[in-house]
Amino acid sequence: MLTIPPLMDDGFAGEPAKRVLQYMQAHKAKGDPIVGIYCGYAPIELIQAMGLVPAVLCAFSKVPIPAAETVLPANLCPLIKSSFGFIIEGTCPFYAMSQAVIAETTCDGKKKMFELIADIKPTHVMDLPQVPDQREALPNWKQMILRLQEFLEKTFDRKADENKIEASLQAANRRNALMQKIFDYAALRPSALHWSEMYDVGFLALPATGAEMAPRLEALLERLEKRVRDGLHFGRPDAPRVLVTGCPVGGDATKIFKVIEAAGGAVVAPDACTGMKAFAGTFQENSGDPIGAMAERYLKIPCACMTPNERRLTDLSIMIDRFKPDAVIDVVLQACHAYNIESHKVGRHVQEAHGLPFLKVEIDYSEGDIGQLRTRVEALFESI
Amino acid sequence: MAHRFAGIDIGSRTIELVVVNQSGQAIHTLKADTGFDPMAEAKQMIGAVVYEGIMATGYGRNLFEIAFEAPTVTEIKAHARGARAFFPEALNVLDIGGQDSKAIALSDNGKVKKFEMNDRCAAGTGKFLEIMARTLGYAIEQFGNEALLAEQETTISSMCTVFAESEVTSLIAKGQDRREIALGVHASVMRRVAAMLQRVAPEGDIVFTGGVANNACLRALLAQKLGRRILYAPQAQFAGALGAALLALEAA
Amino acid sequence: MSEDYRLMWKNLGLNLEAHDMLLGVLGNAYKDIYLSQKERPEGMAYFDFVMSEVHGLRIKELLDEKAAGRKIVGAYCVFVPEEIVLAANATLVGLCSGADFAIEEVEKLLPRNTCALIKSAFGFKLGKVCPYLESADMIVGENTCDGKKKAYETLGQLVSNLYVMDLPQVKTQNGRALLKAEYFQFKAAVEKLTGKAITADSLKAAIQTVNAKRKAIHRLSALRQADPAPISGLDALLANQVFFYDNPARFTASVNKICDELEKRVEEKKGAFPARTPRLLISGCPQAVPNWKLPFIIETSGAVIVGEESCVGERGTRNLTAETGNTVETMMEAIVDRYFQVDCAIFTPNPDRLAHIEQMAAQYKADGVIHYGLQFCQPYLMEAIPVEKALEKKNIPCLRIETDYSMEDAGQLKTRIEAFIEQIKG
Ligand code: SF4
Ligand code: SF4
Repeated sequence: MLTIPPLMDDGFAGEPAKRVLQYMQAHKAKGDPIVGIYCGYAPIELIQAMGLVPAVLCAFSKVPIPAAETVLPANLCPLIKSSFGFIIEGTCPFYAMSQAVIAETTCDGKKKMFELIADIKPTHVMDLPQVPDQREALPNWKQMILRLQEFLEKTFDRKADENKIEASLQAANRRNALMQKIFDYAALRPSALHWSEMYDVGFLALPATGAEMAPRLEALLERLEKRVRDGLHFGRPDAPRVLVTGCPVGGDATKIFKVIEAAGGAVVAPDACTGMKAFAGTFQENSGDPIGAMAERYLKIPCACMTPNERRLTDLSIMIDRFKPDAVIDVVLQACHAYNIESHKVGRHVQEAHGLPFLKVEIDYSEGDIGQLRTRVEALFESI
Repeated sequence: MAHRFAGIDIGSRTIELVVVNQSGQAIHTLKADTGFDPMAEAKQMIGAVVYEGIMATGYGRNLFEIAFEAPTVTEIKAHARGARAFFPEALNVLDIGGQDSKAIALSDNGKVKKFEMNDRCAAGTGKFLEIMARTLGYAIEQFGNEALLAEQETTISSMCTVFAESEVTSLIAKGQDRREIALGVHASVMRRVAAMLQRVAPEGDIVFTGGVANNACLRALLAQKLGRRILYAPQAQFAGALGAALLALEAA
Repeated sequence: MSEDYRLMWKNLGLNLEAHDMLLGVLGNAYKDIYLSQKERPEGMAYFDFVMSEVHGLRIKELLDEKAAGRKIVGAYCVFVPEEIVLAANATLVGLCSGADFAIEEVEKLLPRNTCALIKSAFGFKLGKVCPYLESADMIVGENTCDGKKKAYETLGQLVSNLYVMDLPQVKTQNGRALLKAEYFQFKAAVEKLTGKAITADSLKAAIQTVNAKRKAIHRLSALRQADPAPISGLDALLANQVFFYDNPARFTASVNKICDELEKRVEEKKGAFPARTPRLLISGCPQAVPNWKLPFIIETSGAVIVGEESCVGERGTRNLTAETGNTVETMMEAIVDRYFQVDCAIFTPNPDRLAHIEQMAAQYKADGVIHYGLQFCQPYLMEAIPVEKALEKKNIPCLRIETDYSMEDAGQLKTRIEAFIEQIKG
């Protein structure tokens, strides 16, 4: 990968957080209020339509975890500990910039953590349904988005405009379609897109508006096309292709991607909210009810906090057909009950419906298990 | 009339015995390895001294209670009392023993206000240090001093003894400096107990008791991390037994 | 133990060998923990009998009920409304989740770091040792914590009759509406199961039956305010546990009978422990049969438990369902109102629980509170943080315990509890 010039050569290659920070600072300088978000369920298109800038808050570093552990129970997912540690230590620049925080009742750990930080900044908790296919789920979730709208209107003293929301959805659709085209280059065999490049693009594409992103993404697509023409690709052509699913993976948790590469594999499909999941699906356009359209798309996110979450298996199958992995690795952050328990089902599905080798790894943000992870990943590759 | 009181602290690794006179001065101190038959060991020890009343503490206290019909007190209260004997103003006590570590906050009058103990795993205890010292090939008495000689720390991220042991082994295999690993091990114990101290006793000087208090590296790291003074008496290991003896005296 | 039972168990599909082992362990534990207590109320003999027949006579009764056309509904959680079950001509029983069983089998399906309660529920199924589970016509799961919510997906593959009920996580109008919708759906499901429609009369009677059971427990709890406490925490916990298994009317009568006896004891200042024994409140995760570990350690370390802020305890039983309604619709509303008040830690935020703990501490004159969290239970372990803070503000000592069902840490727990009692005594 060293010989291939980085896809985004703006001086931030491999440092997506810094790039996003610059983006935020530019908006802040223009006087746009910043709203902190934690999770893929935060309806960013609404936030953007109201002239606010969504900032994904820090949650992927091991550094603040010891501070968090002076308060939180030890058996808690590192993502939650890290988030909390960043806040009590005051080290997350995005949190510092945010004038309000949007939270969701996804997992127990998060929802109880939000209670502990609710008094620091205006924090709006969205009550996320857990059974998306139940009759009440969609109307309830739509109401939650409306509630959020009211909260934002009040906090930032401005009115949401239905036309702007519709426009925001359409721009997001355009952006997502372009993102999918970019991901197609990872689907090539051998892959012409590196996971860290997907991260570079994705971390910016999430908070930036569809309108801001579209021209940039078009330019990247041209570069990728050229890359293919030049015959450039990552890793050995016969490197085992890996689809990585499960919990969000960022910062210190990307050690798993690095281990996969060190073991000779190629990460061709990072699923998860930090990867491709954020750009999946489309909003229904011109429905006359943009909030409803938003609710529908968001409720389709196949997070393990949903039950029974059969959609995760369906989506995985589609992804497997598209990216043609040789193996699937399910990343479970330590003490994340939802993904941990669901892994049993995912493993069965991957093995039985697709005949692919499957490995579940339970990781935290430390480096202590890298040697052991490597051994397990190598053993997985040997089974291919 | 009774005028000599004994306290016996039956821990997982060692047994300490202290006899105090009527004014609370220690007149005898004894120490032995717990061994396989702690009661036989204890019997021998109490046979070697003279006293009129005794109180037992430590994890073997209940066995002692049955065998010798003696009253008991928990290590927490005993160490709190012992710490006060060393430092009469003590408000915060850290005790790290063989298999437990405890942070204790005291009221002005010396009563236990709040405490916390490590959960069941060995991380942050004397046993953890001992295992790591052995893995690194140091005698436990030298472990802290050797670690202090390191110029930088190799981070040990595993909290669990089993994982930490394999982590250390692989670091040694990689050719990492042993002293640097040793420092890393100390830092990992320090982080554990520091978190506990911050929860239970967030400010003021800390009196360090128990066998591990002799470890200069841990004392230094703790003082640095917390920015608080770590007070320590050379007799720190006898704090539990001394505390029990004093409580026996005070109950008489 | 009569041969009839063995045949009955065999017909239920139990693994007789494993079941014998379980009963053996259970019997010994009961003897060591319960029968060794001193100064027990005579009325506890009833519960001794119930426990000795918990897999025997009670199961036979349930099977007789089934033969007579009733249905059995099994549940894991206090959110399953017994009123609805009874009104539709079915019996509600709690399912076993208080002891480790078949751990190795369980850990093939569930992560090792799942709470003991969930693992236990799986263990009883996989080990084929719970006659309640095997006689149930319907097993109700509910989306409470992450662990349970996801584990039911897997349990659904092990049993054919799992019904999963969704629950709200926030106490808003929407939350209440969700609970109501779920309860109506559940009502329809139970009616379908029994083939009997719930009528205003049957629902009213059911509400009265369940309320009577609760009132009896309330009476028992109130008597524990006395010093000396007339009954041990272990015995009171047992009554709260049997609440989930016994025939409701008989249970109510038996508890009331004990209360008569306890009233006399209080008058005579006779206690299960001497007067001025340190009084503790337990708050936190449920303690399902036969999980007596913590109360046993506490009450053999010189303190008495005077209340349980728990689903197997006051959180589960404290509110009554209003009996004023006359139509099915109004009574269903009353049921929704009643259950919506349960202040389980899965709700966010959950300030009512905090207030209730403080109220209980005052009411039962507790000298301290032990917060009981099962290892890996995030809702309660997280809530322990604000609970401890709030109690400290009121100068009520609080000890946070995190443990599971194994006895490995018993020695360590004892030290901590003894030290806590020393701390209280000052
Ligand atoms: S990884 Fe799991 S536990 Fe952690 S925040 Fe996400 S859903 Fe919650
Ligand atoms: S104890 Fe906690 S984790 Fe276990 S089932 Fe109950 S709420 Fe869930």
